[in-house]
Amino acid sequence: MPVVMIVLFGFALSTELKNVKVGVYTPTDDIFTRKLIDRIGESEYFTIVFDAPDKEALDAAFLNNTIEVGMIFQDNFYSTISHDGRASVQILLDGTNMNIAQMAQFYLRNIIGTSVQELAQEVVMADPELSLNLPVEIKPTTSMLYNPQMKSSFNFVPGVMGMILTLVCSMMTSVSIVREKERGTMEVLLVSPVKPFLVILAKTIPYFVISALNLATTILLAIYLLQVPVSGSMLWVVMISLLYIMVSLSLGILVSTLVSTQQEAILISAMVFLMPTLLLSGMLFPIESMPVILQYVSYIIPARWYIDAMKALMIQGVSVKYCIDLVAILFAFLVAITSLSVYKYKDRL
Amino acid sequence: MMFRVEVDNIKKNYGATEALRGVSMRVSEGEIFGVIGPDGAGKTSLFRILTTLILPDGGSAKVMGKDIVADYKQIRPIVGYMPGRFSLYQDLSVEENIDFFATLFGTTLQENYSLVEEIYSQIEPFRKRKAGALSGGMKQKLALCCALIHRPQVLFLDEPTTGVDPVSRKEFWYMLRRLKEQGLAIIVSTPYMDEATLCDRIALIRGGKFLKTETPQQIIADFDHPLFAVKASSMSPLLRQIRQIPQVLSCFAFGDTHHIVLKDKGIDSLQGKELLSTELERRGFTDVHINDIAPNIEDCYMYLETLNS
Repeated sequence: MPVVMIVLFGFALSTELKNVKVGVYTPTDDIFTRKLIDRIGESEYFTIVFDAPDKEALDAAFLNNTIEVGMIFQDNFYSTISHDGRASVQILLDGTNMNIAQMAQFYLRNIIGTSVQELAQEVVMADPELSLNLPVEIKPTTSMLYNPQMKSSFNFVPGVMGMILTLVCSMMTSVSIVREKERGTMEVLLVSPVKPFLVILAKTIPYFVISALNLATTILLAIYLLQVPVSGSMLWVVMISLLYIMVSLSLGILVSTLVSTQQEAILISAMVFLMPTLLLSGMLFPIESMPVILQYVSYIIPARWYIDAMKALMIQGVSVKYCIDLVAILFAFLVAITSLSVYKYKDRL
Repeated sequence: MMFRVEVDNIKKNYGATEALRGVSMRVSEGEIFGVIGPDGAGKTSLFRILTTLILPDGGSAKVMGKDIVADYKQIRPIVGYMPGRFSLYQDLSVEENIDFFATLFGTTLQENYSLVEEIYSQIEPFRKRKAGALSGGMKQKLALCCALIHRPQVLFLDEPTTGVDPVSRKEFWYMLRRLKEQGLAIIVSTPYMDEATLCDRIALIRGGKFLKTETPQQIIADFDHPLFAVKASSMSPLLRQIRQIPQVLSCFAFGDTHHIVLKDKGIDSLQGKELLSTELERRGFTDVHINDIAPNIEDCYMYLETLNS
């Protein structure tokens, strides 16, 4: 365990930026913008994943999270820069993750600032007939989408929701069921006409209620205390949260079918659910900066998908159709975990 | 005639450990069947197999004519089981525990009140108390009450009197005999040899095997070796020395005396006494008191254990 943590924190998890997905829109295609885009793509911080045909396509890519940073170059970028010596580029940032947004902005400005003169010279050298008044200047303007005031609470509220629900549902459920085994009451419950799986389902109901109350408190606190707006549909926020609660409850049941002491249940919940939820769900560390293998590991953490969905619905305020894939993934988790625990379930000791 | 419980050559292994090495038994209606043996002899494994909680590794068993492996769902509603460990909800009150188990079996306390009346009336004064705060004897009465709440056909009691004071033990056995009169088949395990005579039939279990299955009276009657109790001032060298006498089959410490079983069944009590006193005198014991005694179940158990080892 300590070895894993040291390695994870030392190498794998970093708050540094890596491979941030960038989408660009260039209204007029020219050699200067292309070179600049190549420069950005070459850096380890950014990967150009999308060359938008129009501004709407770029916005759409933003909405379904295929890109995290958007760059919109000015109309007639090259001719403007050659005549006036200055041109502008707009940088769109995703305010749902403040860490990434601020760092991305910083690095982008840096790259643009350092490479613009070099590029200008290169272009002039390659084609001496072109007139380019040196020095040139590119003026980036940034706009923070979804979170214009740059509040960090916007970032952590979905994360905290994911964490609380994981904690309450998975840990408390598994511990409460395993406690029956430990105390021997399970033995008596088994020797009764009640279907044992019903007993376990019944044990989860109070935790479902508690989680629903927790959810309500968290959302109310987020809205009224932290002033996080629920920009999207509240109904879907609640619906998807309830779905996630069921996923977590089923995880708790699964654990309870596998272990036989409360300590084991707590350990497994903490190590297999809580830690990965904290570290790998993208709440503290950007998933893109992780080594590929950890990115794959993060796929199997339900909280990751839930937090993504909450960010999309609460902060970005997109309609549910943009995160229907996340809902489908959560639902698949629910089905898979429930069937696994039914399969693993023994109605004997 | 149909037996309430039929067990044939049941085996159970935990890894390399053989917990049960082929046990067989029959229990009829209105019978108290005692499984007597020390801890680790396989009693709990046998009970868990018969209550369908674990699967046997060999052999077969039927409860009320239903197979414990194939028909386990039909067995569960008709047996009452009281595990060796107190297995009720400690943080619920007496009343709540009874209500809970009644609901679990789809019945109410009132419905089967006649069966549990006698037991319930003893715990009724404490019905608001938390189960965890009851005395050992009261806990067992409550557990028995909960195990009986659905009027089972067969009652399995795993060491119900372990850790219970002598008075409560006596009361508990009295209640079992009253239940038996109502036609229940009761299978009870105990490490206490003195409780054996309270059963109708007993099986002496050791190392996963039944040494003998009989009525306690018959087991005692079958003991046909001369038996003596010996006492002296220095007891432990005495035990070692007695075991070296060639005519002695076995000798065990038994409270403040040693019980000696002689090999030769034909020796009468006078001859036996004389033989032992001369042998012991020759070994330097001068203050020995020798009495011939009637065997109890523990003597029989020790004797059978010696024969089987």
